[in-house]
Amino acid sequence: MSVVAEPLSRHIGAEISGVSLADLSSEVARELRDLLQKYHVLFLRDQPITPHQLADAARQFGPLEVHAFARHLDDPPEVGVLDQTEPNKDGANNWHTDSTFQPEPPFGSMLQAVQLPSVGGDTTWASMIAAFDALSPLMQETLDGLTAMHDVRGPLLRAVAGGHAVQGIDDVIAEWPPREHPVVCRHPETGQRFLYVNSNFTTRINEVTEAESDALLHFLFQHVRTPEFQVRFRWNEGSVALWDNRCTQHYASADYDERRIMHRVTIAGSWAPSAN
Amino acid sequence: MDFDIQPMTATLGAEIRGIDLTAEIDDPTIASIRQALLDHLVLVFRDQEMETEHHIAFAKRFGEIKRPPVATNHGGPPEVNVIDQDDPRGEGADAWHADNTYTMQPPMGSLLRVLKLPSVGGDTSFASMYAAYDALSPTIQNLCDQLVAVHDVTRSLSRAIDRGHSTANLAEVTAAFPPVEHPVVIVHPETGRRALFVNVNSTVRIQGMPPAESDMLLRYLFEHVKAQEFQVRVRWDTRSLVFLDNRCTQHYAVPDYRERRVLHRVAVEGERPVGIVKNAS
Repeated sequence: MSVVAEPLSRHIGAEISGVSLADLSSEVARELRDLLQKYHVLFLRDQPITPHQLADAARQFGPLEVHAFARHLDDPPEVGVLDQTEPNKDGANNWHTDSTFQPEPPFGSMLQAVQLPSVGGDTTWASMIAAFDALSPLMQETLDGLTAMHDVRGPLLRAVAGGHAVQGIDDVIAEWPPREHPVVCRHPETGQRFLYVNSNFTTRINEVTEAESDALLHFLFQHVRTPEFQVRFRWNEGSVALWDNRCTQHYASADYDERRIMHRVTIAGSWAPSAN
Repeated sequence: MDFDIQPMTATLGAEIRGIDLTAEIDDPTIASIRQALLDHLVLVFRDQEMETEHHIAFAKRFGEIKRPPVATNHGGPPEVNVIDQDDPRGEGADAWHADNTYTMQPPMGSLLRVLKLPSVGGDTSFASMYAAYDALSPTIQNLCDQLVAVHDVTRSLSRAIDRGHSTANLAEVTAAFPPVEHPVVIVHPETGRRALFVNVNSTVRIQGMPPAESDMLLRYLFEHVKAQEFQVRVRWDTRSLVFLDNRCTQHYAVPDYRERRVLHRVAVEGERPVGIVKNAS
């Protein structure tokens, strides 16, 4: 069985065939890792795997994390559960990179569709490399070297209000004080520069006035919504997505009111966002 | 001749008393007035009894008269732009702007008199574009320093025509005044200070930027110039003459009246604005 990647758009996304995640060899995992550098998000259909198999497959890419405040299985606890019929308040229907409030945000995630609404619940990913490349050279130069604050509090409070958070708010806030990251980062493997602000967590660009920060962030949050940077995935039960959480953002369409259950494993990064 | 200068705010504006602008004014006094204009950006000469001929004669002491690019049919001297209104909303002066920046050489200054006033209202606010520039962060200053913007008469004139404030022929005016480029930040030719030089009436886009970036930046800057800290508000009477430096200020005519207000404007020719970067054309 050979690994075949079919690109889904110019800048991001490929559908992968010829891979069984149930028994993922380290050789195939290495191939997937190379493909991830090129496509940033990989889609694998028809993977009827157990939570333990999902966790084992993800471990091929790095150690797993238990999410800072989302619900998870008892066994294994590394598998988070997104179980929703009212997805409007959980924050996933905002463009975001996962957990950028951490000093070392995750390398990536694997997400598996377990139960789906009859229609809807697609997820869209966007390449922040493409988003950065589409800025004018002057805007790139202006943003390069700036830093921004990433703050868990807004999304956390929304998640609590929507019944999507389990851990105590005070604990999470105490553990993750607002964190500074470069506005433009460099990919540790490919060296490509990408935009690193997102509408969930980024609150303020530090080196400019508050009004300028508002204008720039508002513009950048709109900018990442450009369809040219995106790929939209329609799930089947058993579909798995694997993405590079450093240079992408994603958005979960909140267009359903039937039950949707997803399993997510988060792969730890040994990467602190860096401009160099 | 000595005259009294009373600053109106810490940023700009000074009331001038103790000088009769209809009298013979010697060159040193004119030089002092010019220096006061450079220092205070907007001079409000109070207690003036003058006729149109004095208005024009005084303006001529500071340079050639720039005739109105879009003439008004008032039958008076061609040097004077007559703004005669009883419902000025949407006319164009009720937006922050510098005068005639859609021309290659906008006026260095304008001298304004109100001949007829509503019983209350009709003030004019002025804002320092030095202060607006200085209040930007170094990051955004550095960005703006490198930019050139397109100024175009079409939008504001078509709006004025649509609302019945102008009978100008749009095609003729736009043919006479095709879009021009000016630096986003200009260096004042006399003071050397940097001033923000984009305004919502005439500046339509930033050259060489994708539309979304240009829109974001211009929208931000158009809001930025509205800060109270950059402004002075002048309450008119019919014995006042206002002299504004059009290179480093914008102004806004408050349209809060429905009675007749008649304003005469005489403009003094300016140079082509120069920025930190060279103009593209």
